[in-house]
Amino acid sequence: MSILLVGINHKSAPVEVRELLAFSEQACAEGLRKLVDGEVVQEALIVSTCNRVEVLTSTANAHASEGKERITQFLSQSRSLPLASFNDHIYHWNDDEAVRHLFRVASSLDSMVVGEPQVLGQVRRAYSLALEAGTAGKVLNRLVHHAFRVAKRVRSETGIAANAVSISYMAVELGKKIFNSLNGRTVLLIGAGEMAELSARHLVNAGVARVLIANRSAAAASLLANQFGDKAVAVQDIEQHLAEADIVICSTGADHFVVTEAMVREALDKRRNRPSFFIDISVPRNIDPAIGDLPNTFVFDVDDLESVITSNIREREREAERAELIVESEIMQFQQALRALDLGPTIGALRQKLQDIARVEMARQRNRLGTLTPAQEKAVEALLLATVNKISHPVLSQMRRSNEAINADSMQAWREMFGLDE
Amino acid sequence: MRSLLLAVLAAYVVAAIHAVLAFVNKRRSLQRVSLWALAVGFLLHTIALLADWAIDGHYPLFNLRETLSFLAWTLAATYGLVLFRYRTQALGVVTLPVVAGLTFITIFIGVGIDSAGPATEFSATWLFPIHTTLVIFAYAAFFVVFVASLMYLFQERALKLKSFGAIFHRLPSLTTVNEIATSAAAVGVTLLTVGIATGMLWSSSRDGRIWHNDPKEIFAALTWLLYVFLIVYRSTAGWRGKSAAWMGIAGFALVLCTFLGARFMGGYHVFE
Repeated sequence: MSILLVGINHKSAPVEVRELLAFSEQACAEGLRKLVDGEVVQEALIVSTCNRVEVLTSTANAHASEGKERITQFLSQSRSLPLASFNDHIYHWNDDEAVRHLFRVASSLDSMVVGEPQVLGQVRRAYSLALEAGTAGKVLNRLVHHAFRVAKRVRSETGIAANAVSISYMAVELGKKIFNSLNGRTVLLIGAGEMAELSARHLVNAGVARVLIANRSAAAASLLANQFGDKAVAVQDIEQHLAEADIVICSTGADHFVVTEAMVREALDKRRNRPSFFIDISVPRNIDPAIGDLPNTFVFDVDDLESVITSNIREREREAERAELIVESEIMQFQQALRALDLGPTIGALRQKLQDIARVEMARQRNRLGTLTPAQEKAVEALLLATVNKISHPVLSQMRRSNEAINADSMQAWREMFGLDE
Repeated sequence: MRSLLLAVLAAYVVAAIHAVLAFVNKRRSLQRVSLWALAVGFLLHTIALLADWAIDGHYPLFNLRETLSFLAWTLAATYGLVLFRYRTQALGVVTLPVVAGLTFITIFIGVGIDSAGPATEFSATWLFPIHTTLVIFAYAAFFVVFVASLMYLFQERALKLKSFGAIFHRLPSLTTVNEIATSAAAVGVTLLTVGIATGMLWSSSRDGRIWHNDPKEIFAALTWLLYVFLIVYRSTAGWRGKSAAWMGIAGFALVLCTFLGARFMGGYHVFE
């Protein structure tokens, strides 16, 4: 069997093309059943997300060359699109390259934001759809599970997903870097910018115990407090509550410093120098940058956050290089596993075939042997089988050896030599 | 004995190398290797120390060779405790190479200065080994304060400058290293206090004096004062963070002076 992948992604095609080719879950299940004909395409799986459509198939060796055409035709028919409208944008990979591509997709190396965690879930979903449709067989089962394993290895052994690459998540990450755990911490939210609110929400999900919300309009503050549930309290006076806050997120439309150095100095005394973390998402800035020079305070404005994100993305790219090495080594392991998958049945079939020949010949000549005692009869049969086994033994060991070497075609050659597929 | 110590050294070297690699490469499998190697090394080291004690007939903490070996063992034990309590292996990057280095010195360099001298006279009284053991453990605790303080300063600086490298991401949080330093300092001071007290008791039973004005005593007193100051300030005035970390580093410089002082400046604590 051979593995073939045909797809389109954010690098190969603009969104206008991708959206036309996208499959809903419903369409996916129907499409899979149509695509798998048992002749050319034996197994199939479709991953469809906003950034990609990938059709992964296992095809019979004899029809491997027709595979690509089959799949593009299928895409054209099932999406009711002329082939020409997307043909330039698709890529297709065979065998090892298809395996590499799937491993890279599952490990989020092929994603727009390298290391984003969603894509693995999407591959998982695609696999369960294929299972439901009954189009995932022994090759795809093995391949997809191997891809999950690779993704897990990449995640745990490299820092590809380690560092935040969005401003709102940065608050959580830096907060953890300073406070270790966010459990039981207090956040003061000043103003009601969307980004500040999103950051606060991430912080709450990460364990923050209390959110104090200050806004020029008390009504707006209590409205927002309601959205956060029972952890949130609307407060009037920033100065009064500054000392309680471990993390301060500021995003107002004011054109002056809402949090001044004097305020923080006083708060620091009250906090007995416990560290505090200020995030200023507003432009013009609302938190006096001089606060950053005070001991045990850390102030990040929008530019700081952006530059950290840039360096985090670089860090992810460096880690991605290490991830590629993992992918390469796993491709080799998969090849071996796949060959073992081929080997067992081939050896079984060959043995069976030779023994059948012996039995047929025995049956043909049986009459000429006259009456035999049961012991004699057994001896004749044993003689035949032993001869067959002794002759085939070096052949089988040679097959096992050539299977271990990197020689994917040899198995097919063996099958043809002995006419096992006839 | 030597072959046993070589096995100890081998285990510590494996632990140290894997701890550094795990830190650089973020590989959990390497961390596991490091942990197991450390456990094996520590166990063998314990056996070696006990055997030493049984064969030589005195507590294996007297001459320089023994002291360095014992110090390595103490650092390994202390690191194990930190690991158990805080689940952070980052400290191992510094601690384990030091442990391996000390063991190396014990085996290959310490041979010449191995003098069993008047050891039996001192170990006759049970106070002496208690004194030395407590003080050595105090040093190990101060070493932990030192490493945690370095990690604190490194991260504090990175956070203030907003430039984060790979090392930054692999260190435990500011709060964690601060906690490690604080509790290690408290443990260290307690041990040192009792250690100095037993030393004074032993000394007074020996020649009736509790203070001899020798360099080691003076440095020990200064060290004690500095760490007490650090702890008191930390708990009363909320004096924490950067300045406390610098104190942790200065304190360790004093510890080194105390440890080596007697050797280079002579005095009452020189026994050879």
